[in-house]
Amino acid sequence: MARFFFDVINGTGLVEDDEGQDLPGLSAARDVAIEGARSIIKEDVLMGFIDLSGRVEVRDADRQTVLTIPFHDAVELRGLDAGAAS
Amino acid sequence: MIDKLLLKMRRRDDVSAEEETILRAAVSDVREVAADVTVVRADVDLHVSTVLIDGLMCRYKDLGNGERQITELHVPGDFVDLHSFPLKRLDHNVMSLVPSRIALVPHDRILAITETQPHLTRLLWFMTTLDAAIHREWQLSLGRRTSLARVAHVLCELQMRLDIVGLADGMTYRLPLTQVDLAECLGLTPIHVNRTLRELRSQGLVTFRSKLVSIDNYGGLKRIAEFNPDYLYLDKRPR
Repeated sequence: MARFFFDVINGTGLVEDDEGQDLPGLSAARDVAIEGARSIIKEDVLMGFIDLSGRVEVRDADRQTVLTIPFHDAVELRGLDAGAAS
Repeated sequence: MIDKLLLKMRRRDDVSAEEETILRAAVSDVREVAADVTVVRADVDLHVSTVLIDGLMCRYKDLGNGERQITELHVPGDFVDLHSFPLKRLDHNVMSLVPSRIALVPHDRILAITETQPHLTRLLWFMTTLDAAIHREWQLSLGRRTSLARVAHVLCELQMRLDIVGLADGMTYRLPLTQVDLAECLGLTPIHVNRTLRELRSQGLVTFRSKLVSIDNYGGLKRIAEFNPDYLYLDKRPR
């Protein structure tokens, strides 16, 4: 197990993770980051907007960034041109 | 040993000296459990119920994909699986979230109480119905409250429940929960919990840092949570 920290950077600024989570490896950390990004996007959708400008930065126990997940990589966008087509 | 259980009961009704003696004598054993130990497992025949003396525990259920829902947090003084006396087995697990101390009460001693002590029996019944009320409030949170209100609500609830058993210092209390634990209580992700805590802090409502909760603006926090402590049945009256 290794410790990973998940910072969120988006429209409202930086939310630093000073607690972290113990996970089996980078692949599990990627899953946690994607799930976290999606959960934030989900809450935004309920309020009536989608802001994909944010990102989750994953840091290791030495606080080095080992992975960045932009919000727009956490979801697949479909039907964006539906409005134009009609 | 079960002083906090008595504090919890006496907040809602009188407990006579005789009833207190009987309740204390019902404890057969006291055990220390490490953190993250499933103390009561679902679908196992049970012959004892557990009172939490020190620490923090929870009821939880898991899905096949590993997703976990904590359905209630237990603070010292809670009779965490009193309902296993009539149910005989549970449909959920009970685990320690931090190193904890528990008192075991054999079901045959609870049976004796129900046959000889009608008022004490009603108080024990009250305890399980109170758990049901807490479950209903959590259902409202999980189904309908925003993430901000969910976090605010559980922090208001724990302040009240810990204060009853003497474990809150006014609007400050120790809460040895991780973001992952909170996420499993609130149906959120740990990343979302962290962001929500930061939002509550930046609004000057509450700070949760180094396992310490400090409510800076109780009125504001209650408003956001729509926290109404009536579901904790805090009035003292004959039950």
